[in-house]
Amino acid sequence: MTSVRPKLKPEVPKAVTAWETATGKVIWMTAEGGWTDDPSDLGVFSGDEAEARLASAQAEEGAVTDPYFMEVTANAEIAGRETLRETIRAVGPTTHPEFHRGVS
Amino acid sequence: MYRYDEFDARIVKERVDQFRGQVDRRLSGEILEDEFKPLRLQNGVYLQLHAYMLRVAIPYGQLSSRQLRRLAVIARDYDRGYGHFTTRQNIQFNWVGLKDIPDILESLAEVEMHAIQTSGNCIRNVTSDHFAGAAADELMDPRPWCEIIRQWSTFHPEFAFLPRKFKIAVTAAEHDRAAIRVHDIGLHIREKDGVTGFEVLVGGGQGRTPHIAALVNEFVPETEILDYLEAIMRVYNRHGRRDNKYKARIKILVAELGHEEFTRQVNEEYAAQRSHEKIDLPGGEIERVHAYFAPPEFADKPAVSEGFERAKAADPAFARWADANLHPHKVPGYASVTISLKPVGGVAGDATDAQMMVAAHLAETYAFDDIRVTHAQNLVLAHVALDDLYDVYRELDAAGLSTPNESRITDMIVCPGLDYCNLANARSIPVGQAIQEVFKDPDYEADIGKLHINISGCINACGHHHVGHIGVLGVDKKGEEFYQITLGGRADEKAVVGDIAGPGLKADDVPGAVKRIVDTYRDLRTSREERFIDALERIGHEPFKEAIYAAD
Repeated sequence: MTSVRPKLKPEVPKAVTAWETATGKVIWMTAEGGWTDDPSDLGVFSGDEAEARLASAQAEEGAVTDPYFMEVTANAEIAGRETLRETIRAVGPTTHPEFHRGVS
Repeated sequence: MYRYDEFDARIVKERVDQFRGQVDRRLSGEILEDEFKPLRLQNGVYLQLHAYMLRVAIPYGQLSSRQLRRLAVIARDYDRGYGHFTTRQNIQFNWVGLKDIPDILESLAEVEMHAIQTSGNCIRNVTSDHFAGAAADELMDPRPWCEIIRQWSTFHPEFAFLPRKFKIAVTAAEHDRAAIRVHDIGLHIREKDGVTGFEVLVGGGQGRTPHIAALVNEFVPETEILDYLEAIMRVYNRHGRRDNKYKARIKILVAELGHEEFTRQVNEEYAAQRSHEKIDLPGGEIERVHAYFAPPEFADKPAVSEGFERAKAADPAFARWADANLHPHKVPGYASVTISLKPVGGVAGDATDAQMMVAAHLAETYAFDDIRVTHAQNLVLAHVALDDLYDVYRELDAAGLSTPNESRITDMIVCPGLDYCNLANARSIPVGQAIQEVFKDPDYEADIGKLHINISGCINACGHHHVGHIGVLGVDKKGEEFYQITLGGRADEKAVVGDIAGPGLKADDVPGAVKRIVDTYRDLRTSREERFIDALERIGHEPFKEAIYAAD
């Protein structure tokens, strides 16, 4: 696994994020279990459901690479100790606004 | 420069074909990331925060215009219009898709380039003095020996799975511009009784446990250097730790054994192998490789160019650039030109595809088709006639490449940091930009003189913070970025690891702290001729540490 991220307690709301294997694009699991490259569509999971979602993501390791939990609030906002890192992954490098997600 | 023979071309082509198959299997799901990772790393492919990153080898930092143009095309067609030049004199593309990488590598192979030895636990790209073959202060051109070492180390079966990555640098000048003392092996070319040979230093490095290399042999004759390198590698391969990646570099082995015992073991191994399997590099082979690096046909020119002097008198901006970015050449009437990739507010080491095209054009037109990448993340045109400098400058200026700051305070080494890197704890680039903002007045910067600030976004020290005159290390404290300042590091022939000045600072406080360090220097220096690092060593660190933590 490429990323060794902090462990999150079962009750903490979390999202599942990974990279699309073919392109390297950052992706998040949706509430329905699909994948999106739009962080506003990410699903929020906790407890056993979260573990099941991560396991299903790991079972997809052909199409996606290195899935892991990231901390979010119940309202799907990026949270916790890795807020800056995950915000940069979601938005783009702070040094290149023209590379930000959604900027063409 | 070196040109591929049929074996080189075949090796690289076969490697591309092999990796294409591996990528196909990864994309089909036949192999998973854990299996694929060691394969992609042997081909320069990392997975970073936003995308895959492809690191392309530029052996000892040397490029032709044809090669630089190809890199520009790759930046334009497969990246987002940028290439990022690195401290290993390589280039990285930060936005490539895995599915495209085999095609990129095939395109690189057409211009004699590849991504071999840019990652993994092998002997990495050999680096050198970026003014090699041009510098007035060198004994000889070190590049032929870099090439010989490259050929020896590429796919060397015994050293394909070392305990950890392994970096070699070579210089032939008294002023060390290749940072050989912070390399796993540093080689300094010397002459003794009419024989060419190498002073051998081993066990330098940065990262979480920085060490300055120890002198292991004062003189190894050139015909025996590959044997001697093999002896070092064998001792390391046999005894280097494999149980803990943070203690696996040769610097730890040298430190744990003590450099006398390490040297004894190397010499014992060397003596043992010399008796039955010496490489015995033939003189003809040494000459063959040297022939690729024959000096270009320089014109007979006076040491002073009237046109150059006139242009400086007429154009103060050109005079300022010439004062900062030219380096003395061994041939009268020529200079080496640094193309700074450190504009104020830019990203250190980044060049756009259009800028790479301009540099390639200038190299072809004015500089014998010779471009260098420096370990400080700039480009160099090694051989430019003084008569042509004003034309070169005007084209650079039009392309946004005329920043006059070589080795000055805004010419910082900066790692990609948390904006790109999967390992980083904190951002580096914005901190560097904020420091640049403080010192952007060119008169102020010129008054400060030579001063190296190096910034890393984590303890892996890719931004060489340990050996910056002022080092800045980003750390994470409970999710917040803090920056630790070090003082007094240097990477040259007097290499020293910097001292940590005290507690870390918040990002917003770093530029002010650096300004107070610099103003303390300006107050205490004996004259403008006393450089920052010399004043620091004369005075001691205390007044500078106090300045860091003084209230604004």
